[in-house]
Amino acid sequence: MSKGALAIGAMLALAALVWWLAPARLPETWSEQEAALIASLSLATLSELPADPSNAVADDERAARLGQRLFFDRRLSTNGAISCASCHRPELSFSDGLPVAVGTGVGERHTPSLIGIAFSPWLYWDGRRDSQWAQALAPMETHFEQGAGRTAVVRLLASEQQYRSAYEEIFAALPAADRLPAAASPLGNAVERENWRSLDPELRAAVNRAFANAGKALAAYQRKLLPGRSRFDDYADAVARDRAVLPQEDWLSRDEIAGLGVFIGTGQCINCHNGPLFSNHDFHNTGILPASGQMPSMGRYDGISLARQDPFNCLGEFSDAEPGQCMELRFANDGSELAGAHKTPGLRTASRTAPYMHAGQIATLAEVMQHYNEAPVAMLGHNEAKPLGLAPRQLRQLEAFLGSLEAPVATAQQWLAAP
Amino acid sequence: MSGRATARVLRLLPVVLALLVATMPAHSAEDADFALTTAAGNRLLIVSELSPLAINLMHGWRLHLLDTDGKPLSKASITVRGGMPEHDHGLPTEPAVTGEPEPGVYLLAGLRFHMPGRWLLEFDIALDGGAADSASLAFEL
Repeated sequence: MSKGALAIGAMLALAALVWWLAPARLPETWSEQEAALIASLSLATLSELPADPSNAVADDERAARLGQRLFFDRRLSTNGAISCASCHRPELSFSDGLPVAVGTGVGERHTPSLIGIAFSPWLYWDGRRDSQWAQALAPMETHFEQGAGRTAVVRLLASEQQYRSAYEEIFAALPAADRLPAAASPLGNAVERENWRSLDPELRAAVNRAFANAGKALAAYQRKLLPGRSRFDDYADAVARDRAVLPQEDWLSRDEIAGLGVFIGTGQCINCHNGPLFSNHDFHNTGILPASGQMPSMGRYDGISLARQDPFNCLGEFSDAEPGQCMELRFANDGSELAGAHKTPGLRTASRTAPYMHAGQIATLAEVMQHYNEAPVAMLGHNEAKPLGLAPRQLRQLEAFLGSLEAPVATAQQWLAAP
Repeated sequence: MSGRATARVLRLLPVVLALLVATMPAHSAEDADFALTTAAGNRLLIVSELSPLAINLMHGWRLHLLDTDGKPLSKASITVRGGMPEHDHGLPTEPAVTGEPEPGVYLLAGLRFHMPGRWLLEFDIALDGGAADSASLAFEL
């Protein structure tokens, strides 16, 4: 190679390095509309915890303490090794860092963080449950999660004095433990289903009631897991006061601020990741490929059908709500356009809860940004997102911005471990 | 009536008046969040429980259906569909009319908008007697 070509090559490399390292260009000030969007993402705009009329003990401290014990109790699994906290690990933002959950077996879905989940009207990636308490029951009867089955859960409550007295103080008398088979459930294996069928109908009703109440206590506990204020919130509140406070490196770096600009602007992230929890709690098809070895998930199309069939839903006999209070379930959309749509996850814990998507298909945030930049054709249904055409530098800035949302959970230490 | 009792009634008067105004049907376009003219020339006035409108909140609307002379059109059947044309998706919920508490006033329940941007709603109306009518509403959130 000639000296001239070498020199040109070196200059090009230097130019690229300067471009790479140069501070992000920022506008002089946010526009009024941008400032309003930024303010709308701040925790300062988070409403009071929404009431759950289907759970009469949702805000009962005694129920939360009982729920905390259950949350960390491994005896609620067939092998005695898996509690709720095995996958919803407090030190990992109540997630597990794995592509899909591993309980008593390997699951099919990525474990979502529980922080702030009480604000979501729908639970699971496909919204198959319509309350936190109805959700909390499902893993205890799913063979690859905990799978103990409902009589085993009620037997544990009835046989241990501490559980029994805590439960009976909040709810009502439990059935006698010795009347309950160890393994019986309408959702279990052939033996468990037969055990369930042969139970006295009155006892079955009592077990269902106590099982539902265990879920309500678990929900009362999980309602306490709320997001803490991040560096971004301080910045957003400053912008709300004065939209000219652009380069504020005390709070956010220039790249983080530039990433925020992309987030609310050309990146269109805020369309679905909106509000102070960065989620509209709704369902969208964004062309996520199925995990290897899995069929494409029908997502919300199946989820709403499951929620309507769930005996523990808001309109069911175990709910404490009046039918008029079950607005989400009554007016939910069942349309076929929901095929392949999954719930928008909140982003406040995103930088610490890799991998991503409903089956953990995407390993890193950088790859998530790449996915949305390309907006591939969906295998099932249609991708609502359109290609963005962002530069690699903007994708990195978006990722940097998500890091500014990191914050410790705003929940007292006493709730973050087994009691 | 004693002076004190009169004073008490007078003190309550603004509250009573405010309640009356709040529950009065919006028969004029100025009281409505949206005022539409239907395909057949009728008026559809929309009063939202949530005003100004905001994303991610479940709420209901009162629909006032009036003829060209401003008289209420009762016993109509109204359905709604819609979505966001730019994003190629429909409504996140399936809103439905749950009753007609007074002639020409229909309760539309189960509305929730989950994204900022331009929304388009189509009202399909079957008037008492069977004649079809319709109206479109576009708005920015």
